[in-house]
Amino acid sequence: MTTASNLLAFVGLVVTLAIVWRQSWPGRLRLFAAQSLVLAALAGTLGLLAGRPRLLLVALVFLVVKAVVIPRVLRRIGAGMPVRPVTPGKSSGVALLVAGVLVVVAYAVMLPVRAATELPTEGAIPLAFAMALIGLFLCVTGRDALGHILGFLVFENGIFGLALLATYGLPGIVEAGVFLDVLVIVLIMEAVVGEVRREHESIDEQRLRELRE
Amino acid sequence: MLVLLLAAPLAGAAVLTRARGPLAAALHGLTAALTLLLALATAVTVYRTGDLTALDGFLRADALSAWMVALIGLVGAAAAVEAPRYVGDAVARRFYALFHLFVFTMLLAVTTDDIGLMWCAIEGTTLASVFLVNFERTRASLEASYKYLLICSVGIAIAFLGTVLVYFADIQLFGDETYALRWTTLLRLAPGLAPRVVQLAFVFLVVGYGTKAGLAPMHTWLPDAHSEAPAPVSALMSGVLLSVGIYAILRFKPVVDLAAGAAFAGRILLAFGLLSMAVAALFLWTTQNFKRMLAYSSVEHVGVVCVGLGFGGAWGVTGALLHIANHALAKSMLFLLAGRIRAAYDSAEIAAVRGLSRPLPRTGAAFLAGMLALMGLPPFGLFTSEVLIFGAGFREGAAAAAALGLVLLLVAFAGLLRSTQTMLYGAPAGAPPREPSRAWPIVPVTVALGLLLLTGLAWPPGLDDALGRIAKIVAR
Repeated sequence: MTTASNLLAFVGLVVTLAIVWRQSWPGRLRLFAAQSLVLAALAGTLGLLAGRPRLLLVALVFLVVKAVVIPRVLRRIGAGMPVRPVTPGKSSGVALLVAGVLVVVAYAVMLPVRAATELPTEGAIPLAFAMALIGLFLCVTGRDALGHILGFLVFENGIFGLALLATYGLPGIVEAGVFLDVLVIVLIMEAVVGEVRREHESIDEQRLRELRE
Repeated sequence: MLVLLLAAPLAGAAVLTRARGPLAAALHGLTAALTLLLALATAVTVYRTGDLTALDGFLRADALSAWMVALIGLVGAAAAVEAPRYVGDAVARRFYALFHLFVFTMLLAVTTDDIGLMWCAIEGTTLASVFLVNFERTRASLEASYKYLLICSVGIAIAFLGTVLVYFADIQLFGDETYALRWTTLLRLAPGLAPRVVQLAFVFLVVGYGTKAGLAPMHTWLPDAHSEAPAPVSALMSGVLLSVGIYAILRFKPVVDLAAGAAFAGRILLAFGLLSMAVAALFLWTTQNFKRMLAYSSVEHVGVVCVGLGFGGAWGVTGALLHIANHALAKSMLFLLAGRIRAAYDSAEIAAVRGLSRPLPRTGAAFLAGMLALMGLPPFGLFTSEVLIFGAGFREGAAAAAALGLVLLLVAFAGLLRSTQTMLYGAPAGAPPREPSRAWPIVPVTVALGLLLLTGLAWPPGLDDALGRIAKIVAR
């Protein structure tokens, strides 16, 4: 169980780092779907090995929502955008470096959590937290609406992974609320981004700068 | 009772998605009145007979919940009275339905015992209100709603991280999953929870729910959303939505105090509170728009509340809770008046409405009274609660922080005074208002000012007792 959870969390983190590295939007989207797939596999594996059949259901719902429905909506949002680099003329070296530092930070911050538990999955907890931190970083530094949404979703995925590894999943009603919530946020985002695009003919965040002191 | 209280706005919202025309307005009024009645009845019942529970303890209202329920009811009704002025027939259905859904999510957040469901409800407040912010469909309101949705979603996700960690600490001691996220369970187990984990969780919770509460430096969405939303929505957001964020932090504070010692949570809240006051005081001097001025003043007052909680002690906590109520009343009334002023002049710039007390005498007088209350002058309630809060600072041995707080309060006071003076008595700049009118929102303003005088001058019987009971919940 320790091996399985460590391996899957590690693969998840590698995929997350690849999202930071990839520059093209369709590529990032595919990587996000892959990350969701890995986390669904993690939920399923934990459900089998720890004897929690409820987690299998969670894995299935997660798979449908995060790896199929949301990427489809994101593709719809991104449709019509030129396949251009996210940050033209800049390499992602600095971003990757920051992401590396965040992994170290994640280990430091999660020390008390690891100390408080004997779970076989405890070794992977910082990896999931690092995914969350990197997602937050992507969200904050995103240059357009798509970048923000993607960062937010990666962040959310990281928290889901953390909840899995640290507690074997939250009570059903909360879990259901979270799925519904993410789905609604993405749909509202689609509506808002659609309006922004009609208004501004572009979803470049730079143009959303009217409200300033 | 609790089920009815939640069912009223929810059913109203459901029916209102189908109604149109005068029927919609009537149903809207009915729903708002019913919600207000049930909210006040719930509060009275809790203070008379003790905690209410429903649905196997899933819903639970203690003295703290009752305080918030009463406030949401009052501010919700005041906003509902003004709402029809802002709604065209074409979009009435959506507006009214979302309005009551918004009220429902806030009521659910303060009456559930499950901290997971509380999280869902608070996230729901964002989702229900985001379209209300963009109701006028201008470029600026669109941008404000985008910023609001994004920043608050990220904030609330951080709060979720905190909730996961609390659950993690809790499940180690308590095997049963269904009841592990109940606040009552948490409080019972609190002394045994792993202190470092709980501290870490609290940091995430304060940052997360603090984003919803408008604490600096996570407040950046607030001036945009509160100033671009239509006045009744601004009144609800500034008046009670911010307090719902504070409420969530309040629920975790006793747990952290019991698990990790009393000083930790207080210090964090004090730091965020003072920072919010400082940021707000600065922007109150520079802002050129009176709705933004009111929004920054909300940041300031949320800061004052957190400072009170940070000082702790009976005075600090009582003062903070009283301040939440006083601010809700004063700010919602001011936003409703600001909506009238904005409609009359077709502008929210301070410079454009200079000298408004001549063409709009009653609105001007009411606005002045509200602003004086907001600045914390006697005889209004905010004076009392601020005295309690900063008095607590000196009593609890945090004299330096209390003195710094008072200086910031003074800076903010001067900034507010300057803008108010320009708005009311400055030399009229350009065109007089489109429709000079003697009309003013008489009912909400009178009720709010009346209650503010009560909390400022003569506490009605029972208020002292109620505040004492809440203080016992928050400060252990």
